[in-house]
Amino acid sequence: MTRAAVRYVPVSFFAVVFALPIFWVLVTSLKRQSEFGSSLFPTQLEWPNYQLAVVLADFMHFALNSLVLSGSYATIVVIVSALVGYGFARHRAPGRNQLFGLVLALLIVPTFVQFVPQFVLFARLGLTNSYWPWILWALGGSPFAIFLFRQFFATFPRELDDAAEVDGAGPLRIFLQIYLPNAGPAIAASAIFMFLWVWGDYLYPALLLHQDNTTLAVRMANAYVDPHGNPLQTVTMAGVVLYVMPLILFFAFAQRFIVRGIVTTGLKG
Amino acid sequence: MAGATHVLPRVMPRPALLRRRAVRRAATFYLLVSPWLLGFVLLSAVPLAGALLMSLTNYDGLNLDYVAFVGVDNYARAFSDPEAQHALLRTLLLMVLVVPTGLVLQLLLALMVDQPIRLSNLFRTIFYLPYVIPVVAGAWVWKIFVDPSGGLVNALVGAVVPDVNIRWLVEYPTLVLAVFTIWGAAGGGMVIFLAGLQGIPAEYREAAMIDGASPAQVTRFITLPLLTPVIFFNLVTGIITTLQVLVQPMLLSPGILGLSPGTVPPLDNYLYPVHAYIEIFVKQLFGYGAALLWLLFAVVLGLTLVLFGTSRRWVHYGVEA
Repeated sequence: MTRAAVRYVPVSFFAVVFALPIFWVLVTSLKRQSEFGSSLFPTQLEWPNYQLAVVLADFMHFALNSLVLSGSYATIVVIVSALVGYGFARHRAPGRNQLFGLVLALLIVPTFVQFVPQFVLFARLGLTNSYWPWILWALGGSPFAIFLFRQFFATFPRELDDAAEVDGAGPLRIFLQIYLPNAGPAIAASAIFMFLWVWGDYLYPALLLHQDNTTLAVRMANAYVDPHGNPLQTVTMAGVVLYVMPLILFFAFAQRFIVRGIVTTGLKG
Repeated sequence: MAGATHVLPRVMPRPALLRRRAVRRAATFYLLVSPWLLGFVLLSAVPLAGALLMSLTNYDGLNLDYVAFVGVDNYARAFSDPEAQHALLRTLLLMVLVVPTGLVLQLLLALMVDQPIRLSNLFRTIFYLPYVIPVVAGAWVWKIFVDPSGGLVNALVGAVVPDVNIRWLVEYPTLVLAVFTIWGAAGGGMVIFLAGLQGIPAEYREAAMIDGASPAQVTRFITLPLLTPVIFFNLVTGIITTLQVLVQPMLLSPGILGLSPGTVPPLDNYLYPVHAYIEIFVKQLFGYGAALLWLLFAVVLGLTLVLFGTSRRWVHYGVEA
């Protein structure tokens, strides 16, 4: 009995502490606005808040923006990073190790240090207010994903390449027909993280895009006010739930997969 | 003997052929990594060089007509800028508040959900959730949770002490920011610890158990030493990310949520990256802002190098785990 208590009491305690703020968002999203601050729990569940959240913020429009931007970024960056990771894992050339060191070194440079001059560059090229910055970032690959794919591909048996080479396959065909189809866990893990990064990012869309083509993240920051400019907390919470819900459902489903992806790709450093 | 050599067949390829093959191989490698290489040159190297140049000028982000070379003036100014000093101290304070606590919590969570318990997948998901939640949603979660009138925190405190009306984001902004940061990062660190734990062969722990070690002893003398590379990794990434915290304090500013030019976090949450952001994007001082950011990079690099220096003494890579 005490043994079970040692196993379950602390973990349950932390689970409650972690979930309580999120639980409170759900509770608040179902109150009437007049109940916010006056009654602890809703007297009756105010589902119309969710309808309001969709209508007031033009939710679908911005959700589509977010989906398009995150989806295209993730797709391109994963393909490019897989190709580059394959190059680092399987092809020898003078300067290779130094270049790979450079990939890792870039992880230490604060992102904001890199962003500010990029911002000036994008502004000069007239690429602000468009999705081009994300496409360009994606085409260059992501150090994180390149590292992940390089580690993953390094575990593949070299005999595969040799056999394919004997059959006359070039490096690109070997990559497309042998490496990519067998990279499921690495593709899934990196695609999830890359999608999530853009879906959740606030700063770059806030600085690079304008009111219409911006993402849901920026829209959620201040979409819900009444005609007098007072914040509508209950509707906001409904909007936040709608914004986060797809991610939560997805992660509840993919949780085991992500842990396995990190284990098999040797991301633990 | 002299006549015997010419009967040997020439199995060795000529050097020219070998060289050609090496060149072709190198070409293949560079072709494959060319997207990254191109991206690195155009989106990292050139802009970073530009930022270095920018930090030596009075560039205002608008036009190049009035740009003048000002030498190291921007750097000198950073060292005598009281706001920059205040902001750096607040950022370092946040790091001290967040990194050690966060690391211990991540390890604890990983150890707890690594046990064979029922519902362990549910627990993992709950701890991982805040890590997945986007920063804007997270800021709203905490803003409502600590709201003076509509928040649960004051309601809970009010159950013990009647008539409380603590305005958390005004009176204790750094505390809220620290808790928000720890809560948001815990799941990511936990998963990496979990991966590390699963990489430790079960036999090690079983052998120690058979020799009569208690679970606490197994954790202290077997698990922890084998986890030191993971601890090191999470420590370094934790420090690097905490030093760059920028959006959270701005989103948590009292008033309407949002990052508009008018939003300045309360003095306690006026972190170093916030200062750089305001100098650049609000005051248009791109040159000075770039200098501030290079100094931040220097701090990040310095701390990372110091950590790598100490790692030889406490990180054990010896055992293949």
